[in-house]
Amino acid sequence: MKPSRFDFVRPASLNEAARLLGEAGGVAKAIAGSQSLGPMLNLRIAQPELLVDLTSISELTAVTEHRDHVEIGACVTHADIEDGRIPDPSLGLLSFVAGGIAYRAVRNRGTLGGSLAHADPAADWISAIPLLGAELLTQSSRGARVIAAERSMVSSFVTTLEADELIRAIRIPKMSPRSRWGFCKFNQKVGEFAHAVGGILYDPDNRRFRAVLGAIETAPIIVADATTLFAGPFGPDLDKRLDVNAVLALLDAKAVTDEYTRQLAPVALKRAAKQASAS
Amino acid sequence: MIPVSLEINGKTTDAQADPRTHLADFLRNQQYLTGTHIGCEHGVCGACTVLLDGVPARSCITFAVACDGAQITTIEGLRDDPIMADLREAFAANHALQCGYCTPGMLISCRDILMRLPDADEARIRRELSGNLCRCTGYVGIVTAVKSVQQKRKATGASAIVMCKTLGPVGARPSREGGRAPAVRRGSEAAPSAPPLDQTAPVSAQQWRTVEAEGVELRQSFQVPFARDVVWNYFEHLDRVVRCMPGARLLGSPVGNRAEGEVNVKLGPFVSAFKGIAEIERDPSRHAGVVRAMGRDAKSGSNARAIISYRLQSQGEAATQVDVSVKFLLAGSLAQFGRLGLIKDVADHLTRVFANNLKAALSGTLGGNDSDKPLTAGSLAWLALRGRIRAVLAKLRPRANPITRSDRFDSR
Repeated sequence: MKPSRFDFVRPASLNEAARLLGEAGGVAKAIAGSQSLGPMLNLRIAQPELLVDLTSISELTAVTEHRDHVEIGACVTHADIEDGRIPDPSLGLLSFVAGGIAYRAVRNRGTLGGSLAHADPAADWISAIPLLGAELLTQSSRGARVIAAERSMVSSFVTTLEADELIRAIRIPKMSPRSRWGFCKFNQKVGEFAHAVGGILYDPDNRRFRAVLGAIETAPIIVADATTLFAGPFGPDLDKRLDVNAVLALLDAKAVTDEYTRQLAPVALKRAAKQASAS
Repeated sequence: MIPVSLEINGKTTDAQADPRTHLADFLRNQQYLTGTHIGCEHGVCGACTVLLDGVPARSCITFAVACDGAQITTIEGLRDDPIMADLREAFAANHALQCGYCTPGMLISCRDILMRLPDADEARIRRELSGNLCRCTGYVGIVTAVKSVQQKRKATGASAIVMCKTLGPVGARPSREGGRAPAVRRGSEAAPSAPPLDQTAPVSAQQWRTVEAEGVELRQSFQVPFARDVVWNYFEHLDRVVRCMPGARLLGSPVGNRAEGEVNVKLGPFVSAFKGIAEIERDPSRHAGVVRAMGRDAKSGSNARAIISYRLQSQGEAATQVDVSVKFLLAGSLAQFGRLGLIKDVADHLTRVFANNLKAALSGTLGGNDSDKPLTAGSLAWLALRGRIRAVLAKLRPRANPITRSDRFDSR
């Protein structure tokens, strides 16, 4: 099980990387920690002709803290986040999610931006990052762009990123101190891909009450106003107020027909709600 | 080949590596460090775990060329490490190995747990070991071994050892090329790809029965504002119908009920080109038809078989309901990926785009030869957006006509 032949280039700047990807015209793939693309290359499911390695670009590991948000470079790893090596805008949510991704040896190389660009529907960040109301700061030969995270993924492995467009950083708004969150990744073996993801974010000072249903074998469902799922505002015993039919209606709208997924999605959201509203 | 300079077990090593050679193969085949084992080769089993810049990493899904300048420590390099010495002894005392295949990776992960999480309880130790599979000892001995070393270390007052590191993937270093334009390094020549499918070989009835019995089924229904006969006549022209399938085209004219064709799909990292044959059957009495297609993607060596059935139901003089059902089976590397839901998501999109295009074609609004282009992210983005616009419109409309799922992807 070896990858098929490819060429390799390791640019030192984002502009060089974008140029190389643009010139390759669709046969190139950007690669960072190689923890998702690596297996696909080994299995020969992906057979790009050129890999553009982004891990030499120092800009991509920059992290900056601002008054109301934190900008995390795309090549920051899950382990960097798990261990709290960067400022946390999320009252622990990012670190909690990071610690549940695959295994430590994978987290030491797998990157936040790589995971978002790869857009595996069962991955963790594609659900957690949009839940936080984050934005992707991208760069291509044509310039920079800001994409709302919840509008970046279209379906399995498909995003609105252009072939020569790279995520430079992820801008995550700071949660106010009174905020609450819950995040449930359902799987049968620790570290495997999620069978279902449910997430809740409640930030009263910023008037946010959001929910996410993820790992539904297509792009996650982001609910910007979660009152519609809980028949009212955030409060104690939130899990007991979950309107399962409202969840199923959302799955219907996304054409999610798999019975197992339809069983698990409300359960995951319920557990997230319980975690978020527990005193 | 690309020149790489690595520090392996404390020694600077200059070597040449093919871009596609992963670190585990590089260590075993070029450096003869066979203590690193290879199990699953896709990052799940943990047998290949080595230390990269002092912390565990999977050497089977890390390319050697991506580690230029990095520090690598294999099990051989940990001979004189005091924690590893304790672990080896504890593994032996607690029957923490049997066949030994997982042991190098297991030891490296256990050492990491002891250093990083000196206070880990049993549940945490087990969680941390989830990335290393052992099929002989059942983990009990391994966990006991870790706990015994942990107690020994606690007794001597050892605390957490933090491996200082900069942000980003371990093993990553600044580019050798500095500010210069980077050179694209060529990989070794490609092996000949798998032979194409024998186009003349008959497809056995048994093969189709397997698709019927075990295939994944997708259904789409939609209405077109034309009489059934108009639609039925349109379906007679295979080339026109094929043009509605994104990325699909016929290779030559159909002979009898048989045609050759190809379907190109490009989605994220997946690029495939299925070439093959289709057999067509039509039943005018039921206004129904069946297309049995099979193809092979030479690049990935995957085979696909699909049975596409359609039925036209008259809905008055100027409307027809088209019911399409697709049953498909995949074999080869795409199927081995084992993520059926993903393949279904893609096939679902294909079926939906097909239904849309068919409707547009019947209305005479299908522009140009869209199907020559492979199905790409762009077309899916548009489809999703269209679906969303439709959903918003549906909310604004009175609910006199219940919206069916197929309607949501209506192009009008």
